Amino acid sequence: MTFALATPRSTLPDLRRMASDAPAFTALAILLALGLIPLAAAMALDTRIFQGDSPWMKPVKFHFALGLYTISLAFFARFMPEATRLSRSWRWFTAAVVVAICGEVVWLSSAAMINTASHFNTTIPVFTAIYGLMGVFAVLLTSASLVMGVSVWRNRATGLDPALHLAVALGLVMTFVLTIPVAGYLSSNGGHFVGTSTRALRVMGWSRDAGDLRVAHFLATHALHFVPVAGLLAVWLVPAWAVRVVWVAAASFAALVIFTFAQALQGQPFLPFIG
Amino acid sequence: MSTDPHALFQLTGPLAILGWLSLVLAPFAPRLTDAIASLVIPALLSVGYTALILVHWAGAPGGFDSLANVMALFTHPGVALAGWVHYLAFDLFVGAWITRTARAERIPHLLILPCLVLTFLFGPAGFLAFTALRASLAARARMTGATA
Repeated sequence: MTFALATPRSTLPDLRRMASDAPAFTALAILLALGLIPLAAAMALDTRIFQGDSPWMKPVKFHFALGLYTISLAFFARFMPEATRLSRSWRWFTAAVVVAICGEVVWLSSAAMINTASHFNTTIPVFTAIYGLMGVFAVLLTSASLVMGVSVWRNRATGLDPALHLAVALGLVMTFVLTIPVAGYLSSNGGHFVGTSTRALRVMGWSRDAGDLRVAHFLATHALHFVPVAGLLAVWLVPAWAVRVVWVAAASFAALVIFTFAQALQGQPFLPFIG
Repeated sequence: MSTDPHALFQLTGPLAILGWLSLVLAPFAPRLTDAIASLVIPALLSVGYTALILVHWAGAPGGFDSLANVMALFTHPGVALAGWVHYLAFDLFVGAWITRTARAERIPHLLILPCLVLTFLFGPAGFLAFTALRASLAARARMTGATA
């Protein structure tokens, strides 16, 4: 029996299928990428500074992150049962996720316009209310990975090697399971630092001398990339042991997320010697 | 009818709003909406604009050659009102074009509502949003077409 992606020489998956497998996520990902054009222009024009950076840095990062997230979901959608993808409930659910993601990025840019904080902002009642709504949106958009993961898990006809099938499903489920507690705690912490941060890692902005809860959030969210890539390497390099390797890789990754979370809680920076 | 720019200004808002409301409700009467928002109201506003320019242009300070001169130009109430009416007329015309184009390209009306709001408030930003939306859907359609 042959499986998709079973060897490094297997034919590459058809990326264009994303458009028919997940039309809403695909269009949204392209739209989020196009949104970077006016955001970059605004960043070039804006001389204001917010927390040491251009106020447009955060919307730019979120357009990148959410664009990557939605295009990844659009790719993994092919491993769901076709009947599920075509069902009315799935379409309504994806529509709700798209609304949530649009709501997030619109608020991020609005906050940048008025040069205020998009997160942890409880200075006036309106911002507190928006912050609460954004929390609901964040859970909703993250739940897409759980729903997809479970759907892929139950699908007997993905055409994937069992180890890779497990890796894709597990990665998606882990993104939700790990992100929700980490991001939930982060959102109630009143700020992403534990301790006083004076130096930041370039691009990522992670503190070099204080605990930074965003490290664990970042890793948790990327489980849907890390575990499937580990699965791919496992079926290529150690096909006989692949399923076990996937479980070990997933468990190690979860441990890494828990470690970075605990490290941040203790006010310790992650890999402080970098940057 | 009053000739005072401040009084005339009060008439322009409701006229434009009427056009934008018709665009929001476009799916119920596409042809009527198109007639109102891309012809009747922009033409009415254009008549007002042209008249304002004919009357006030010669007496206005400033010019087009520097930002300072453009700003000076807009200190004149008659010319400033003309500039405002120019926005209203052309933004509505673009809104009507967006609605028409979306219908022709089978883009759901619900998706263009945010673009219409943006065009109403910040003209070119709405045009940009619609262009990006259209580009995303076109790119997706090309991907789908290539697989089928």
